[in-house]
Amino acid sequence: MLLAFFLAVGATCSPIRWPFSDPKMLDLAAGTTLNCLLLEQQQWEAPLIARARKLKLTTLGVVRKEADAAQAASAGLDGIVLEGEFNSAAMERLKPAAVLAPRHRIPWDGPVAVIGTNQGLWPGIHVEKDGAARAAPTGAPWIDTNTGFLRFARALTHKPFWIANTPPPKSVFPVERYLQAIADAAASGAQWVIALDEDFAQRLQAGDSAALRDWRRIAELAKHFDSHPEWRSLAAAGQFAVVLDATAGALVSGGVLDMVATRHTPVRPVPLARLTGDRLEGAKVVVNIDPEILTDEQKQVLRRFAASGGTLLNAPPGWRFSTPPGSLTLSKEDLEKLDSIWREVNSVTGRRNFGARLFNVSSMLSNLLAPPGGTQLVLHLVNYSNYPVEDITVHVQGKYSKATLYAPGAPPAALTVYPVEEGAGLEISRLGVTGTVVIEP
Amino acid sequence: MTRREWLALAGAAAGIRGTGKAFKVSAPTAPVSIARCRSYNEDIAAILKGMFEQLGGLAPLVRDKTVTVKLNLTGSPGLRFEGRPLGVTHYTHPKTAAAMVHLLGEAGARRVRLVESCWGTSGPMEEYLLDAGWNVRSLAKMAPRVEFENTNARGKGKRYVRFKTPGGGLLFPAYDLNQAYDETDVFVSMAKLKNHATTGVTLAMKNCFGITPASIYGDDAGMDEPNERPSKGRGVVCHFGKRQPSRSAPAEIDPKSSRDPGYRVPRITAELVAARPIHISFIDGIETLAGGEGPWNQGIRYVKPGVLILGTNPVTTDAVATAVMGYDPCAPSGRKPFEECDNTLLLAESLGVGTADLNNIEVRGLPVKDVLFPFR
Repeated sequence: MLLAFFLAVGATCSPIRWPFSDPKMLDLAAGTTLNCLLLEQQQWEAPLIARARKLKLTTLGVVRKEADAAQAASAGLDGIVLEGEFNSAAMERLKPAAVLAPRHRIPWDGPVAVIGTNQGLWPGIHVEKDGAARAAPTGAPWIDTNTGFLRFARALTHKPFWIANTPPPKSVFPVERYLQAIADAAASGAQWVIALDEDFAQRLQAGDSAALRDWRRIAELAKHFDSHPEWRSLAAAGQFAVVLDATAGALVSGGVLDMVATRHTPVRPVPLARLTGDRLEGAKVVVNIDPEILTDEQKQVLRRFAASGGTLLNAPPGWRFSTPPGSLTLSKEDLEKLDSIWREVNSVTGRRNFGARLFNVSSMLSNLLAPPGGTQLVLHLVNYSNYPVEDITVHVQGKYSKATLYAPGAPPAALTVYPVEEGAGLEISRLGVTGTVVIEP
Repeated sequence: MTRREWLALAGAAAGIRGTGKAFKVSAPTAPVSIARCRSYNEDIAAILKGMFEQLGGLAPLVRDKTVTVKLNLTGSPGLRFEGRPLGVTHYTHPKTAAAMVHLLGEAGARRVRLVESCWGTSGPMEEYLLDAGWNVRSLAKMAPRVEFENTNARGKGKRYVRFKTPGGGLLFPAYDLNQAYDETDVFVSMAKLKNHATTGVTLAMKNCFGITPASIYGDDAGMDEPNERPSKGRGVVCHFGKRQPSRSAPAEIDPKSSRDPGYRVPRITAELVAARPIHISFIDGIETLAGGEGPWNQGIRYVKPGVLILGTNPVTTDAVATAVMGYDPCAPSGRKPFEECDNTLLLAESLGVGTADLNNIEVRGLPVKDVLFPFR
């Protein structure tokens, strides 16, 4: 029954690790789109669960040991979330609403309605110990992001995908970092399971006005993305494809997909397991990260792509990452490898427009998406700096005449579209943490 | 130091390494205007127009002329200090550029060409500006004919043009530059009020260090011919002298001279402004960086001096700007802000570009003391 429930509503669930045990605190969630509360074992108490039900909030008990599942069942929760490593037999027995597994153990093709991971980077501009921003191979600031991994995940599954990392402990963050974490996931079609740091939760509990203001901004941003669930099912657009798999570093952050993302080159991740001619439709350049593990059939797909005029870049053996399974980021050795990969990829991509070119976006990441077979483009933008970015320019390929900017807390705004050599140009005068541009013919 | 260099510098070396007052050449002077401007949201065009009027008006300088405006867009547009917009830290601010272009058009300039040797690329200047957050479409409409040229390579021109250093040169006898620097009647340097890690200060003159194309003077310049797709800076050739420019361009006068950047960069700057004279010097100190010229420097900080400085002689303008920053523009090598370098202003003075002596410079508008903003 729980499975059926989640198959029906999983896509509309907006999750948060609820930090309070006091039922009165549920009023914070009332009126927001944050409707799916992940509760720890000490919160499995009747008053809290009853009030949540009254407010039409879904309660999911976080189970980390199979032995605790029985208590969750008797507590009257709406369901459970398995967090950690569980085998498929346990999942069969426990029928969780969602599974939050380590990245290398995600049950991509199993029966669970909502899948995800509890491993993620805390998104933001990477700051070194001396306070300086670290530079990426592109010269732009290095952005810690889960986008590469999440894009790969979205290319692998259509299920709702949650990333449930928590803020680094013993740290206090400005609200912008929470907003960036929400947008970092949402821009890649996933959902961050909101988790507040201890200090923030305590201030909310105490009714601190600044904390309440920040909470409203978080809720507002969640609503922004929850109001457009259709964005989550869009496919990566553009003419640049990267064929890769877990063995080629697809499950770690800071890898090839993240590197290409920092260049704002629209990239279509193609998981090796999904490599078909259809997946390469419209691509002009394909980078094959690990040619050695391709089956004959997969090699044939790439040969046909090259024979039809596409540019195929087969990576040399050195491109294979040595990071062991379970690692979240690249090893130091692999990071150095990334530099050489960057030079190779850059020599292929150069300044070409693979669907969209963006300007003045060094502190940002973008993701160009499109509905399958559709004519619309959806461009997500996430700003990781603590300042609004002004005067962003976008050049998209193709003929478009209409563009609308959707930003949290603001009504949709029509943008002027003008012709440029590559197709259509548009400008965004100011962007806070995030915005989404829908571009139409 | 070679005999030739010695002759070129004459006794000025004593001034550079000594008191700064020991030697005086007959260098021209020109008035400098100072105005208060605390925000980029103020009417910069109106303030700038008033400053030009204090100097005798803009129209007599630019009417029916081609005006080339060298912007200061140093370093990759991806490198930002604390994520702030480039124009409030180390780049020319787009609003000051828009104001300048508007006024040039209004004053009757026939053509306004915005130039910069864009860091690490020979791609279109327009795209570099877009990456810096400029509204190029709007800027292009600020005057009847606005053009853009990336001078980091040959660009839209067919050839490089050789500019000889008057007096034979301190380091280089001549420089090969993008054609845009030749096809101009009036040359404008739009700089920021900043410190510089190598030269102490970077103002209207040091901005013109960036007119050298990386295709010839860059770290990946071609050995024989220019590399028309440069992707690096100018450290190897210019700062450290570890290699010569492309052989198509004149080599150094004395390859055995000092390789110290504090010796080389001020000399290169001084001889560039002597070879390619600056007619209008504009320095934006509304918001800027102190402690260095860009985010790559350690110990920099964001500051708001709230001042604009304008002049028709780059040395007098830089001298006043240096004073506004709280320094003695005639300070010798070893004294702040020239602790680790020679004084570019005195070197330019020795080449007859202009005087650095505040006693010989008329300041119009606000006096220095009213806008004094110590950078250290």
